[in-house]
Amino acid sequence: MRFHVVKRDSCPLWKRLALYVGAVAAALVLGGLLLLALGVNPVAYYSRMFTMGMVGNKIAYKSFENYLKVFVPLVLTAVALSLAFKMRFWNIGGEGQFILGAVAASAVAFQAGPVLPGAVTLLLMCLCAMLAAGLYGTLAAALKVKFGTNETLMTLMLNYIALYFLTFLGETKATWNFFLDPTSARPIFVSFAKTVSFPRIPMGKFGLNVCVLFTFAVGALVFVYLRSTKQGYEIAVVGDSAGTARYAGMKVNTIVLRTVFLSACLIGLAAAFKVGTAGILSTNITDDVGWTGIIVAWLAQMNTAVIFLVSALIAMLQYGSDVAAATVSQVDSSFANMLQGAILFLVLAADFSTRFRVVLEGKGGRKHGA
Amino acid sequence: MEQQPYAIEMRGITKTFGSVVANRDVSLTLRRGEILALLGENGSGKTTLMNMLSGIYAPDRGEILVDGQPAAIHSPEDAKRLGIGMVHQHFKLVDVFSAADNIWMGKEKAGFVLGKNRYEEIAQTARRFGFELDPKKRVRNMAVSEKQTLEIVKVLYYGAKVIVLDEPTAVLTVQEIQKLFGVLRRMKEEGHSIIIITHKLNEVLEISDRVAILRKGEYITTVDTASTNEQQLTEYMVGRKVDLNIDRPVVEKTKPLLEIRDLTIRSDEGAVAIDHVNFYIRGGEMLGVAGIAGCGQKELCEAIAGLRPIQSGQMIHKGENIVGLSPKAILDKGISMSFIPEDRLGMGLAPSLSITDNMILKSYQDTKGPMVNRKKGKIRAEWVIEELGVVTPSADTPVRRLSGGNVQKVLLGREILAAPNVLITAYPVRGLDINSSYAIYNILNLQKEKGVGILFVGEDLDVMMALCDKIMVLCHGKVMGVVHAHKTTKEELGLMMTGALDLTNRYEDKPAGFARDTNIPPQQTPEKEEE
Amino acid sequence: MKKILAMALALAMTVSMAACGSSGSNSSAGSAGSAGSAGSAGDVSSEGNADFKVGAIYINSKSDTAGYTYAHNHGITTAMEELGLDTATQLVIRDEVLEDYDAVATAVDTLVGEGCNIIFGISFGYMQAMNDKAAEYPDVMFSHATGYMSNDTNFNNYFGRAYQARYLAGIAAGLKSLEMGNNNVGYVAAYGRQYAETASGINGFALGVQAVNPDAVVYVKELGNWADEVNESAFAKELIESYNCGVISQHCDSAQPQIAAQDAGVFGCGYNSDMTADAPNAHLTAAIWNWDVYYKTAIEAAMTCGGAENFVTAMGGPAYYGGLKENFVDVSPLNEATVAQGTQAAIDAVRELIVSGAWDVFSGVKLHVTVNEDGTATVEQEEAPLLCDGQELVDGALVERDAQVVEAGGPSVEDGVITGTMNYFVEGVEDA
Repeated sequence: MRFHVVKRDSCPLWKRLALYVGAVAAALVLGGLLLLALGVNPVAYYSRMFTMGMVGNKIAYKSFENYLKVFVPLVLTAVALSLAFKMRFWNIGGEGQFILGAVAASAVAFQAGPVLPGAVTLLLMCLCAMLAAGLYGTLAAALKVKFGTNETLMTLMLNYIALYFLTFLGETKATWNFFLDPTSARPIFVSFAKTVSFPRIPMGKFGLNVCVLFTFAVGALVFVYLRSTKQGYEIAVVGDSAGTARYAGMKVNTIVLRTVFLSACLIGLAAAFKVGTAGILSTNITDDVGWTGIIVAWLAQMNTAVIFLVSALIAMLQYGSDVAAATVSQVDSSFANMLQGAILFLVLAADFSTRFRVVLEGKGGRKHGA
Repeated sequence: MEQQPYAIEMRGITKTFGSVVANRDVSLTLRRGEILALLGENGSGKTTLMNMLSGIYAPDRGEILVDGQPAAIHSPEDAKRLGIGMVHQHFKLVDVFSAADNIWMGKEKAGFVLGKNRYEEIAQTARRFGFELDPKKRVRNMAVSEKQTLEIVKVLYYGAKVIVLDEPTAVLTVQEIQKLFGVLRRMKEEGHSIIIITHKLNEVLEISDRVAILRKGEYITTVDTASTNEQQLTEYMVGRKVDLNIDRPVVEKTKPLLEIRDLTIRSDEGAVAIDHVNFYIRGGEMLGVAGIAGCGQKELCEAIAGLRPIQSGQMIHKGENIVGLSPKAILDKGISMSFIPEDRLGMGLAPSLSITDNMILKSYQDTKGPMVNRKKGKIRAEWVIEELGVVTPSADTPVRRLSGGNVQKVLLGREILAAPNVLITAYPVRGLDINSSYAIYNILNLQKEKGVGILFVGEDLDVMMALCDKIMVLCHGKVMGVVHAHKTTKEELGLMMTGALDLTNRYEDKPAGFARDTNIPPQQTPEKEEE
Repeated sequence: MKKILAMALALAMTVSMAACGSSGSNSSAGSAGSAGSAGSAGDVSSEGNADFKVGAIYINSKSDTAGYTYAHNHGITTAMEELGLDTATQLVIRDEVLEDYDAVATAVDTLVGEGCNIIFGISFGYMQAMNDKAAEYPDVMFSHATGYMSNDTNFNNYFGRAYQARYLAGIAAGLKSLEMGNNNVGYVAAYGRQYAETASGINGFALGVQAVNPDAVVYVKELGNWADEVNESAFAKELIESYNCGVISQHCDSAQPQIAAQDAGVFGCGYNSDMTADAPNAHLTAAIWNWDVYYKTAIEAAMTCGGAENFVTAMGGPAYYGGLKENFVDVSPLNEATVAQGTQAAIDAVRELIVSGAWDVFSGVKLHVTVNEDGTATVEQEEAPLLCDGQELVDGALVERDAQVVEAGGPSVEDGVITGTMNYFVEGVEDA
């Protein structure tokens, strides 16, 4: 039996949704069987997972705050990546750009924090993080534009450079290294001044971090940018056909550099939000948003509004499965990660089947692409 | 002859790709020692049918008989064993290998060591059929016709008795076509059976014994060549009566709109693509550009549109220099260019965007502010759909969902809406069926009647001779002359295309390509701009 | 735009619901807290502590079967079982928590939300977040391993005198080196002078080796990583082949160095767990941790101290630093098939000195341990200065320092140095 894959022209929305829901259900059933094998009640487990353990929790408002801490960097990164992806620039350097942004924001926090007012420091942190991340992303774009290098490989490798740079900062005690706590014999990052923290709008016990509001604002701007501006139009054309864009008189190289810079800038902003909320740097600061963001952008098909929805769901999945695993002794994080992976994998498979069709052939079949 | 089984018999072949039916219940017979022409428009399923014969696809239904015996052809190897060989339209050769090695590597028992005798062996095969082939020449150093020869020798070397040629004449000049036909006749005399896929009627009538016609994936009929004519074949092919005459309206010509002097352009690889070329276009005139593929046509179009820097020379539009201007500035002067590349969508249109969005591709910057104004695009899209008869669900449909003819109408429609005074169009009917092609010719003629100067880069000499006013022939980037379309012959054009005939000095009173009423002041000598 | 508005509305709804939910459950938080303290004020019997919950934050998976996280998890579950607590319902674990402030803070919030009374964090990088959370949740007790932060009420740190166990392992290694007639001893270490934890371990081991074989040299090869199985094996091989080492000790998670020693036909001392099963023909003994000793002490104190604010006092101070005396650290049972004659006697004699408090490793008194013909051991004490190699690591660079660490007959180096600032190697340790 041979088969080949055929691209679908279109897939009705209800069918797509049904497939996605089916994929999640299939993953849950699969996970449920494993849970049963471990002697865990799947219904109880899943209800904890999907409520993120907030039911009957003494400090449910904390859970929601923590959930938003996962959500904000993820959604911003996914939105940022979608800008580049829309142009078919495969920026998988989100991790590296996030790290550079976080380091830059932290540097500002240490240098300006003790001198300037908190709000000014935070603003400076955002700007510097955007600049640093933006330039780091533009590096890969510039190499592509100038020498035709492959941006996927380039951004991937730049991730590791950034990661090891951060590790170097985190492990190297030296007089110049103001990132580390001078009072600790063992190298650890030092916390920012207390004033350097994004304010929260109190709503009862719950405090809404202003970053959440900014994130929604940025999302709205990107939505309008892609849909209705000339630059957004250029991104669509360049992404569709660089030859056509050039032919239409567009300065393709400029557009690529500008868009990648913007994309990486927003990732830097996500990083600034993250460190500005945590108040401290860490070598694990990215929480893999550079990777998860790619999944989100893909599943949302680069649609900004859908990215918010998908991010909300994936952040819920991520946060909920950690919480659910905590209370069940048979289930460890590896299982939670596996379940998450299974859900994402099956959803991506469903996504694939909305875009392509697998056709089985009888005997013989297609040998070469002709 | 009647008692003999057919060399090939295909019965009730059906093949679908997804929802597209490429072949529906097709039957076909090939006698021994005959040349069968397989005729049909683009997309009628000719190549798919032959790919099933050569084992690249397997039919969904139906059977294939070879010499009267049912044959199971699951792979190209099976076909090879049964003595069926196919020469594809896009050659399947390894560029860095020599001719002999390209043949050798497909041999079933090639052995581990490359034998020295392989050159001699292959040279012999070539000589037997009257080919000239240097077995040691590398493919990348070969001309197109040589590559085709190599493909045919390869098939013969493997002992093919049935040879399928897919559009073999598309890449050849008139003289090379005659040579190829000579070879085919010799092969036929030696008892080979040949299927030749084509959509050029005159060639069908010249070379074939019988003609099998496909239309939209279905088998129509097979006729004896001796008892048919172009008109009848066209009707079979298209399904109804078609007027095969292309109009050439006579329009009052204006002063030269675009004058090109001593233009030299390099290709992407740095080779000279256009070599000291002179020509001019008047308003109300259609100038054809003929030449075998890759003779600098693309570079010329791109240079005029400002997309490619020039090496030296002048480009004067209405007396004003356009060298060094941005594509946008050139567009604003009314010079519009549309180039249909081989994949049809790579230049000029963004396939995933809607017709509306494609309409504003060149003009989106004209409105003020940072926002895109799609209202204008919508109006234009609707005009194009209405006036040019584009078949589409709506103006918001992505261009890639449209059929080839409609895509090209959208492209041309946008260029026309820019109200150009010079329209450069390259291969506007590439891949189109007869009806769509004629629709495009009409659009161009209407523009010409409005006084637009048109540069028509084409492939089909018959069409250019009927449609254009003058034809400029390029050979390796050099102009071989500009001739009046109604006075020239295909043979003359063919000789010029190969460089065998140079008519640049036909008129001694003025250099070729210089207009008598030029806008360029005579004292201004062409200055070289070295980069 | 509609979509965004709709989603903003949906989110606003969720936010308001969460806010309501939290204020609603707030009262229950108070009641649960008071119920907990009421229970812990009573006796230690399991019935009285049915509500008591232990929380733990691990760096690796809680279902690990070896390694650092396993050792702690095993310690906590053992201690809870001994105290009659149910590990299925009264132990809440967030595992695979990265050393990231937000990640740790979130894990603490989750555990507090689950009603944990005491929360253990086992990785150094959890320190700052736990410190801050201890201030945020004064009703909950926090206990952090390997760090140095603490407060006066509900947050302590804990670690053990692993150097004492390593000194005993060093004696086994030294005796083996005498038996082999090979004075070269190898040591595969995660890090060297960068961390007091590793430096004190190396120094303790080296002093133990020198107590029986004064001519021995300990060659240290640093991995630059806490766990790196490939290099753990490769570095051990290099020490054996290039430095001709006959005994390989280690400060890293896996048994790879011991397996490498066995493959090369030499011997070794493991770490963390008894590695005799991994390398029966090479392993002598291992320096091990009995984490359950601490966890039992801490959980018992937490249940009986009568409120989180008394926890540090009940633990006898903000830093718990148990050793051989508390049985917090030890050496694993000797592998009789490999150890030199008299090893057990020598180790027992020194152990007695340490447990009794009469002597400690980093002091101005040197031990000379000899094994007699009859298999008994003699321990002689000599007042001699504790000397280092005259270099210390400051901000990543080796600089000169006074070679004398402790004068002859002087008291032991302070605990703060051993846990925090020991950045030098004693004499007889060489970088390999």
